[in-house]
Amino acid sequence: MTLVAQGIHTPEIAMLERKARAIRASVVQMAFDGKEGHLSASLAYVDLALALYHTWLRVDPKNPGDPNRDRFILSKGHGCTGLYAVLADRGFIPRSALRDYNIPGKCLPNHPCQHAFPLLEMSAGSLGHGLGVATGMLVGLRLKGSPARAAVLMGDGECNEGSVWEAAMFAAAQRLDHLVAIVDYNGIQAVGKSDEIMGHTSLARKFEAFGWSAREIDGTNMKSIVDTLSSLPFEKGRPSAIVARTRMGVSFMEGDVLWHYRKPSAEELARALAELGERPIQLED
Amino acid sequence: MRRAFVEALTQAAEQDPRVVFLTGDLGYGVFDDFVARFGPRYINAGVAEAQLVNAAAGLAREGFRPLAYSIASFMTGRPFEQIRFSIGYPSLPVILVGAGGGYCYSSSGVSHHAPDDFALMGLVPGMTVVAPGDPNEVRALLPQLLELPGPSYIRIGKFGEPTYDAESPVKLGHARLLRKGERIAVLTTGEMAPLALDALPALAKEGIAPIICQFHTIKPLDTAALKTLATRVHTLIIVEEAAPSGALFSGIRDWKQATGCDVRLIRLGPSEDFVLGNPHRETLRRTAGFDTRAIIETCRAEWPFSRPP
Repeated sequence: MTLVAQGIHTPEIAMLERKARAIRASVVQMAFDGKEGHLSASLAYVDLALALYHTWLRVDPKNPGDPNRDRFILSKGHGCTGLYAVLADRGFIPRSALRDYNIPGKCLPNHPCQHAFPLLEMSAGSLGHGLGVATGMLVGLRLKGSPARAAVLMGDGECNEGSVWEAAMFAAAQRLDHLVAIVDYNGIQAVGKSDEIMGHTSLARKFEAFGWSAREIDGTNMKSIVDTLSSLPFEKGRPSAIVARTRMGVSFMEGDVLWHYRKPSAEELARALAELGERPIQLED
Repeated sequence: MRRAFVEALTQAAEQDPRVVFLTGDLGYGVFDDFVARFGPRYINAGVAEAQLVNAAAGLAREGFRPLAYSIASFMTGRPFEQIRFSIGYPSLPVILVGAGGGYCYSSSGVSHHAPDDFALMGLVPGMTVVAPGDPNEVRALLPQLLELPGPSYIRIGKFGEPTYDAESPVKLGHARLLRKGERIAVLTTGEMAPLALDALPALAKEGIAPIICQFHTIKPLDTAALKTLATRVHTLIIVEEAAPSGALFSGIRDWKQATGCDVRLIRLGPSEDFVLGNPHRETLRRTAGFDTRAIIETCRAEWPFSRPP
């Protein structure tokens, strides 16, 4: 896939696009080393997570527990390697820590556990909780007078869960305009295509109907992602939803449900790394 | 008990700005005063129990002491996954309030029956489970639950339950001696306590004086009290309005098994069957054999025996 956005490129966008290739390389490497798949869920949102951590979230690796930090929740925990790699790239954990992915007892399990990795805002792995917990956090932050915002990244498959929509109603009722829900719309869930399973209706229109302000964007276009984030909140008094059409970013994996679970072979790893043209960041230190 | 709950909640909210109350769209009129006084610290999450629990988890993560309130069957079984995952796993100090547990709403049908609330909540690691027996125990337990570092569940009844006095104060985690006695002990939980106390005058006429002990805390189980009781009586008669698995009796049975204690156990309580036919609560207690008369008859039958050698 190409991550070259149309239009004018700032150096920052070009830097993020290069990073996205390196993060994807890291993710494929982790899946190979850790012998754990979930590649479609981990690769597709890499651009979104990078844009969040480099341009939108007010977070500081030197002060990760700042009470006024923006909260980021990866609600679809099975796709955690993308987040782990972005956190390593951003300096929250050593890059070498990525080599510990999926080793029992280490800090980066295949479903994020806050007991193992306390920097996380919450554990994940059971779908449909992140948005609801974030709404509670934001009501609490508002009661405390904190300016902190929250971003929740969900899968399109995760949006099958009713609790997502209970949370969506609550967020609108509470007028949480410092909340953004980002849906990684890669079109694939565990055993099928998400549109077919849930009946071909627009997620953006669903969020709109629930009282949110929603936009559909090209989740593979870094400039479009960064621009969209910079215009948050889309509407005062309403929570914002970004439905980002994404791709895995490795040509031979695109659109194949198989890569929800499949672990890459040595040959597939080499092929993916050659295509991405960047070295996995965990091999740099 | 609900009046006592609202009073205790209001008092806690006055003293502690971290106290936040969330309801699953229940308690019409009951919380008006609380809303007037604490405005944004009252949140109606709607008929959305998953969200009720997840929002409470988020508030707890930000340092608040949320209480989530719904009818017991909707507070426990329905959002069990959210309770287990969002509150239990990170051990957050959320108080789950189940109004009308057991067969409080017996005549409303199976949808509103919650005989399984203790069992479900007891399954969550680190969850404290309490069932006060009168409004005074509600008032005494709530502030103690607010001191806990982790999650808790409290089953409360309706309005206008009788109060009773006792030999010992209400201390979370400790069985409460209601009446001294000998040879046999009636152990109650929740609203079974007044049923046992009501049995005493008739029993006294026959010279029968059981110990009455209220286990308002079901988890953690007060095993020290059990050990002491077992040295003083030959039979423990356990009365519970709960499913046979996962409540007071099964906890005591497990303790007996683990310790090899030779005290006899008798359970008075409903079976595991769905209760059909929308009976009144008193009718159900009578037919299922856990009303005052059943307690009297069981005490009378057990009183002559002595401890096996």
